[in-house]
Amino acid sequence: MSFQNGAALAWLIPLAGIIILLYLLKMRRRDVRVPATFLWPARVEEIRANALFQKLRPNWLLFLQLLALALVCFGMARPQTQQKGLTGEITVLVLDSSASMSATDIAPSRFEEAKKLAKEAIQSSRAGDRLALIEAGATPKVIFPLGNDQAKQVRLLDAVKPTDSEGEVGDALRLAAALVGTQDGARIVLLSDGVFEKVTNFTRGKAALVYKSIGDQDDNLSISALGTAETATGRQLFCGIKNHSSKPIDGSLTLYADGEAIASTKVPGIAPNGQWGHTIAAPAGAKVFEAKLTASDMLKSDNYAVSINDPGASLRVLLVSKGNPFLEKALFLDPRVTLDRTTEVPPQEMGGIGGGTYDVVVFDGIEEQPVKARGVITFGSPGPSSPAKATGSAAKPQFLSAEKSDLMRGVDFEGVFIEKQTQVQPTATGKVQAETSAGPLVISSERPDKRQILVTFEPLNSDFPLQVGFPILLANALDFVAGGNSSQALAVKPGQPFSLPWTKEAQLTGPSGTHTLSPTGSTLVIREAKTVGKHALKLGETTKDIYVALKSDRESNIEPAKNLPLGGGEVKATQTPLRFADFWRPLALLALLVLAGEWWLFARRS
Amino acid sequence: MNLLLDPREFRLLDGLRLNPRKYFQGRVRGERLTKKKGISIEFADYREYTEGDDLRHLDWNVLARLDTPVMRTYQDEEDLALHLLLDVSPSMEFGDPPKLDTAKQLGAAIAYVALNGGDAVFPRALGLRQQTPRPLRGRVGYPRLATWAENLKPPEQTAETLSKALKAFAASSARAGIVLILSDGLDPEAPNAIRALGGRGHEVWLLQLLSDVEMDPDLEGDLRLLDGEGGLPIEITANGMVLKEYRKRLQAHNEQLAEAVRRSGGRYELIVGNKPMEKVLKDVLKRQGWLT
Repeated sequence: MSFQNGAALAWLIPLAGIIILLYLLKMRRRDVRVPATFLWPARVEEIRANALFQKLRPNWLLFLQLLALALVCFGMARPQTQQKGLTGEITVLVLDSSASMSATDIAPSRFEEAKKLAKEAIQSSRAGDRLALIEAGATPKVIFPLGNDQAKQVRLLDAVKPTDSEGEVGDALRLAAALVGTQDGARIVLLSDGVFEKVTNFTRGKAALVYKSIGDQDDNLSISALGTAETATGRQLFCGIKNHSSKPIDGSLTLYADGEAIASTKVPGIAPNGQWGHTIAAPAGAKVFEAKLTASDMLKSDNYAVSINDPGASLRVLLVSKGNPFLEKALFLDPRVTLDRTTEVPPQEMGGIGGGTYDVVVFDGIEEQPVKARGVITFGSPGPSSPAKATGSAAKPQFLSAEKSDLMRGVDFEGVFIEKQTQVQPTATGKVQAETSAGPLVISSERPDKRQILVTFEPLNSDFPLQVGFPILLANALDFVAGGNSSQALAVKPGQPFSLPWTKEAQLTGPSGTHTLSPTGSTLVIREAKTVGKHALKLGETTKDIYVALKSDRESNIEPAKNLPLGGGEVKATQTPLRFADFWRPLALLALLVLAGEWWLFARRS
Repeated sequence: MNLLLDPREFRLLDGLRLNPRKYFQGRVRGERLTKKKGISIEFADYREYTEGDDLRHLDWNVLARLDTPVMRTYQDEEDLALHLLLDVSPSMEFGDPPKLDTAKQLGAAIAYVALNGGDAVFPRALGLRQQTPRPLRGRVGYPRLATWAENLKPPEQTAETLSKALKAFAASSARAGIVLILSDGLDPEAPNAIRALGGRGHEVWLLQLLSDVEMDPDLEGDLRLLDGEGGLPIEITANGMVLKEYRKRLQAHNEQLAEAVRRSGGRYELIVGNKPMEKVLKDVLKRQGWLT
C-alpha cells in the first residue's frame, strides 16, 4: 500500500492534539438554583471538555472523535493498493479499428477481442472512474467522452464496427493525450495489434501509456499489385501477390474484367516475404479489372484489388503553388486525383505535348508555362501558352455574368469578393465562361491535344475558397481538362473521404449495407465506403460504381508488434497492467459512520 | 388587611371541624366533646346519686317513678391544640405561585377551621429564628394569624433546616395535638423528624407542597446546581438518565415522608403545582376527612 498524499497524515497529530486539548479544557458550567440538591445524582458525563489539566479520563466520545479524525486523515492521504486491470481513475481507451484488426488469428477477430477487452474494462471500472473511448480508424473518432455511465458506454462500444481502412492511430493517440495528458493519474490504453504507421509528434504528457497487444500470428497473403500495361503483344493485365507471413502460403486467384471472370489460377506456396506475379492478356475494351484471392490467411480485406482503366477515373495532378490549403483540400477530396505539389514545374514536364507524368497541371498564382500535360488549370497570371494575354489588373471587380456550360454548372460568382483580378484579352481559342466588370473571369480553351482553363484571379486574393462554388468549379474543371464527362467508375481506399458535386440525396450501397447521403451545399462528401468491395452510388437516375480496395502493404503485414516506439520511448506490450486502486471512499464512509455513532452517543447522553 | 382567603373559601370552611384520629386531652374548656364527663348539653349517662352531687343534674322523673335518686351526667367539652408549622425556608420560594403562598393559604384555612371550632392554634414558622407567637383561640384570633402568616418571608440564608426545626419542636414541651406541617419536605432527615413528632404523641398532618418544576425539572446540559437551602453545590450533566434518577429519588423521598406520617397516625397529602385552593379544600381536606 502506498499514499498519494502522504503529507495529509501529518495533520493527524496536531488535530488529535486539539481534540484532546478540548477535552482537557475546563468547561464553565451553568449555575442553576434548585430547592434541594440531595435528590440529584452527582453524575457528570464527559460529553464535552470538562476539566482543565486534570487527568484524561476514558471517554467513548473522545475515542470516536479520534477514530473519525484518523479515518479522515488516512483517507485524505489517498491510500492506494496495486491491482491488475486495464483502467485507472481516468482512462482513455484507444480502439484500433483498422483493416489489420480484422485478422482472425484470435477468434472471432482481433477487433472483437479488443472490443471484449474494452467492454471488460468498462464493466470493471469503479464508481468514480472516468473512461473515454476513441476509435482509431481512417480518422479518429471519439465514441464517448470521459464519463462513467457504464450502460451507455457499453451500448456505444457495441455499435463500433471494424473497418477495412488504414488506421490513423497516431492521430487517435494525440487526441487521447489532448484529452487527459494534463491530468495526474490518467492512463491511455491502446488496444491494437501495433500495425500502423510509426507515430511521431506524440507526447503522452502526464498520462501513462499502456499498450495491449492483440494478435499472435502473421499468416497473410495480399494482392500487392493489379494494373494494365501496353506491351508489344497488346494490353496485359498484371497481378502481384505478396506473402507477409513467416511461412509459405498458397491459394487461388481469380481475375475479372468488367465483372466477368477472365482467369482463375492456383497460387503456389509463396515463400515468406516473397512475391508472386501473374500476367494475362487484358480483354479489349474492358475498363474495370478486379482480382480476388482465396487463401487460408488471417486477413481477407486485402485479398481484393481493383484497377480502373479509364482516363477519367484517375488523374495525376501536379499543383504548382507557393501553398494553398484550400486548393489542396479541394483537389484531395476528388476521388480521381493523385496529387503532387511543387513550387515550380519540373523541367521534364515542360515543353511540348504528351509524354509527361501528369494528366493535369494546376498553376496557382504562378505564371502558366507550357507543359506536357493534357490539361492545364491556371489561377491568376496567364502565360505564353494561356488562352488569353494579360493586359493589366483591376481591383474589386463586380461579377456580371456566366455562361450556361458544364464548366460553370453549379458555380455562382455572385457576391464573391475578389481583391485583384488580372485583366486579359482572350486568344482565338479562348472562350469566355464568366465575366466581371474588369473583363473575362473564366476562360476555357479546347484543342484536340490540350484543354486549358484560365481563372483570372488567385483564390487567396478572394473569398471564393470559402464558397460552395469553389470545389464545384474545381471538379468541373477537372472533368473538362480530363476530357469530358467524369468516369462512371471510381476506385477509392476504404474509409477515404471523397466528394462529388451533387445537390440532392444519394444512396451508397455496398457490402456493409446501404447508406443515405445528404449533400453539404452543392457537394456530396462520401465517408461511408469503409468496406472492401464494389459499391453502387446512386445519384438520381445515374449510378456510379465505387470500387473500394485496401491495397496497403502496411495493413497487410499483420504481424503484431510487441513493442511500439511511442511518446519518446518504447512502449512494451503488457498482458494485464497494474493499476492503483484508491480506497479513500470506504474510509470516508467509515468516518461518516463513526461520526454518526458519536452523534448518537452524544445525543443519548445529553 | 389581607385575610389570605376569599369570602367564598370562608363560607366553604364555616361549620367544619378538625377531625383528629387521636384523642387529645384539652387544657381549657372548649367546644369539642370529650370522653370525660363534664358540663355540657350533650347527655352522656346515668349514675347513682352520692352526697354532695349537684342537685341540678338529679333526674327528677326517675326519682318520682322509681323513688331512686339518679344523676344525669354530660360529656365534657375541651379544646384541641393545632400546631401550625409553616416552612419558611428559601426552598419554599420556588414555584409559580411560590409554594410559600400556597402554604400560607392552606395553613390559614385549617387554622380558621380550628379557631372557629374553639380549638387552640399554635402558629410557628420553621426555618426562621423568631419568637413563637402566642396561641390563638376563637374566631377573633384569625386576623392575628393572617397577619402573622402574611408577614412571613424566607430568610436570605437558611437559619435552620426543616428536620432540625421539627426535632426542636418535638423536643419542646408543646402540648400534644395536631401538628400541621406545611412544607415541601425537601430535607433528607425530614422523615426521621416526623417520626420523632409521632413519638411525642402528636398527630402529624403533612401537606407536602411541590411545584411542577420540582416534579419534572426542565434542565439540560452541564450544570452546577446551587442548593436553595444552602447546601453544597453539585455538578451534574442533566440528561435523560439523570432526570430519571432524580424523579426516582424524589418519589422514594416522598414515600418515606408519607410512611413516617402514617406511622404517627397522621395524614399526608402531596399537593403539586398551583392547584386551586377551593379544589384542595374540597377534594383533599373535606373528602379525605381532614375536616368534617
